[in-house]
Amino acid sequence: MSDVAPLEIQALAKIIDELDYYQLLHLETNAEVSAIKKAFHATSRTFHPDANRHLGDELREECARISKRVTEAYCVLRDPRRRKAYDAKLGGNEGLRMQLAEAKAAHARQDTEERQGRTPQGRQFYQKAAQDIARQDWTSAQQNLKMAMTFEPESAFFKEKLEEVRKQK
Amino acid sequence: MAEIAVGIDLGTSNSCVALMRNDKIDVLPNTYGEHTTASVVAFAEDGSITVGNAAKANIIHEPENTVSSSKRLIGRYFFSEEVKKAQAICAYEIIEGANHGVRINIRDEEFSLPEISAMVVREMKQIAEAKIGEPITKAVITVPAYFNDNQRQATKDAGKIAGMEVLRILNEPTAAALAYGFGRGLNQRVAVYDLGGGTFDISVLEIGRDVFEVLATCGDTFLGGDDFDDRILDLLADEFVAKHGVNPRNDPYAFEKLKFAAEQAKKGLSLEEEVEIRIPDVMTVEGGECLSLQRTMNRSEFASLVQDLIQRTFKVCDEAMQQSDLTTRDLDGVILVGGPTRLPVIRKAVQDYFQQEPKADVDPDEVVAMGAAIHAASLVNAEAPDSVLLDVTPLDLRIGVAGGLAEPVIERNTPVPIEQSRRFTTFQDFQESVKIRVYQGDSRTDSENEMLGQFEFSGFAKARRGEVNIDVTFEIDADGIVNVTAADPATGQAASTSISLSGGLSDEDMEKILEQDPTARVAAAATPDGSDSRTAASAPAPVAADEEIVLLEETHDGIDLDLEIDDDANDGDLELISDDLSALAAESNDSAGSSVIDPNAVSISDLDGEPDELVPLGNAAVEVNVNEGNAREDLFDSSNKDLSADDDETELE
Ligand SMILES: Nc1ncnc2c1ncn2[C@@H]1O[C@H](COP(=O)(O)OP(=O)(O)OP(=O)(O)O)[C@@H](O)[C@H]1O
Ligand SMILES: [Mg+2]
Repeated sequence: MSDVAPLEIQALAKIIDELDYYQLLHLETNAEVSAIKKAFHATSRTFHPDANRHLGDELREECARISKRVTEAYCVLRDPRRRKAYDAKLGGNEGLRMQLAEAKAAHARQDTEERQGRTPQGRQFYQKAAQDIARQDWTSAQQNLKMAMTFEPESAFFKEKLEEVRKQK
Repeated sequence: MAEIAVGIDLGTSNSCVALMRNDKIDVLPNTYGEHTTASVVAFAEDGSITVGNAAKANIIHEPENTVSSSKRLIGRYFFSEEVKKAQAICAYEIIEGANHGVRINIRDEEFSLPEISAMVVREMKQIAEAKIGEPITKAVITVPAYFNDNQRQATKDAGKIAGMEVLRILNEPTAAALAYGFGRGLNQRVAVYDLGGGTFDISVLEIGRDVFEVLATCGDTFLGGDDFDDRILDLLADEFVAKHGVNPRNDPYAFEKLKFAAEQAKKGLSLEEEVEIRIPDVMTVEGGECLSLQRTMNRSEFASLVQDLIQRTFKVCDEAMQQSDLTTRDLDGVILVGGPTRLPVIRKAVQDYFQQEPKADVDPDEVVAMGAAIHAASLVNAEAPDSVLLDVTPLDLRIGVAGGLAEPVIERNTPVPIEQSRRFTTFQDFQESVKIRVYQGDSRTDSENEMLGQFEFSGFAKARRGEVNIDVTFEIDADGIVNVTAADPATGQAASTSISLSGGLSDEDMEKILEQDPTARVAAAATPDGSDSRTAASAPAPVAADEEIVLLEETHDGIDLDLEIDDDANDGDLELISDDLSALAAESNDSAGSSVIDPNAVSISDLDGEPDELVPLGNAAVEVNVNEGNAREDLFDSSNKDLSADDDETELE
């Protein structure tokens, strides 16, 4: 059995919507995966409804609410891609929770941005380049890709495309 | 005085009951001194019911009045593959019940599967009561980890019908790991390879001092020792046909004799290099000749008969290892569970696969019930030492969207308990209701998944399209049981439902059953708001055009109704909304300027004023020009982008 005090359960349940996942699990924002797992175990050990069977229904329901959030936090933080998306969300003050499907979507978005451009200009020039490539107009394609890269110099995808076009020439 | 609660391993072939008291775990033997009891129910002509090994012995005499392996049918839809397979091999009559459930017809009486299983649970309860000398009303019941929600609910119902309060539905491999690691202060990663009579499960766990975390679980609910028997049986039957020109499969008595002999031979091969199969009187043919069967079988012949079945288990193991992000090298131990794991051919194969010898100090027949007993004790007794079990959900939980798709909300191997919500909004002005369909399974095609149920929600403020928010919350509790709630955050109105097919038993059915047997009556579980609105799932029939819903992304400015998406991409499959948000984002940025996509915001629309379905829009979306009541299902058919009015159904209330 957990020896957590009922008051602590109530207090945590009350503020749970104001805590980010790191705060909920008592973790530093740079915590390693092993620390995240440890924290998940320890927090579950304390607040899991099974570990608080001896308490009344109301408190156990609070425990269930906490447990579910703890699981969610663990699922996001243990997965590097989800965690990255979550950190970005936290950084942008866009909320303290992240639905698991949302994290996946954010990742998918990142992926597409990678491929088609983050900036409107980058996208625009890439699209032109793509049309050039379809027409096998390698010279124009090269120019357009270079233009795209002036807006997104870090894009590995554009770089790769440019390389391909160069080889074609 | 500490409360008493038992652990029951309700197996396909055999069941086992155990109790932990004063830190000591005992498997409770039946009156014959056996630690396991056959999960077989025999119905005598005088109306009496026998459960156990005596019932099993009755199969040969009265196959059509003896129900075995009913666990293969529990919580299944009548039209499922599994039921068809069972119909082919079971002599008792399997018929369709209400809500596409399965019923068993014995001596002109119909039983639901939970009722049949309840007879086995009641037997186990009585075994325990006889041994302990006091009434027992609480239990933890185990199920294969790969059981879906319908199967779990039906098993829980079986417990209730038998007069038990089911404290927890616990996964069999998790129970086994608990029995293995309990109180030993271990810090290990283990795999539990559980091959039973009818199901195969593999779970990978991390065992700590007082926390057991399941990292992944995978399985096959239609693969077990019975299938091994069938291979031997097929061989025997084919040889019999070749020799005598008559097919013993057509004679239920002959068939059961061969089946019995096949199982005996298989078990014999656990101990002997070679066994003799001898059936003096398989059947009597015209002219009164009594045909017999005799042959020997050795281990290597047997191995060749079942090799592909064994390999199938390792395919599942591959998946589990991959899902847990481990290799077999990372494992500190392998625990074998289930009767067939006594077979040398299996032990050898498992050892080769995991590159280590399985743990020898685990009884494959009793370990699950022992784990259940440990957990049961910790759930009723604050003083009992306990471990927190952190299990996972075995299957993707999905919501049905139009185009015949099912979008995942909670992926398989996500730890439970967990709750995830998604925000929807109406798509029509003054829409009356929405319909939410919930599935479990790994397919993007809705019909290839198990439908858990569907429900309508109408408790939201009626307003212009896009102005209504509906939060749908999907919860999987520690039993692995799914609850879905729809609520309007503005009005606070909610509809909560624990959805399930549940063996085709509606709440009323359950009540009736419980009333029939007053001693078995227990309080039916109610949802927190007191309205136990468990809906029996109707068939996962195709959604009618007039039940279509559209799922749109919500922009911060509200819904972009005339979202136009390049239909080049429309050649391919419809994409899931979660995959497509990027595309949507890109599109709406281009067309709608500053709008921001909330990946969680999707909308439900009621195109024809009827409860409805969800439609994802994405790369593959079509040009959506929704005019009131003017859209229908084929709108979303990639090959037909015409919007044609559904004449009968266009009126909106
Ligand atoms: N000694 C043995 N050697 C080989 N097979 C055996 C032996 N003993 C039992 N079996 C087989 O094991 C199967 C039953 O296993 P078990 O009792 O573990 O299953 P169960 O728990 O009833 O089923 P499940 O766990 O799938 O619901 C049967 O097919 C039986 O023939
Ligand atoms: Mg079993």
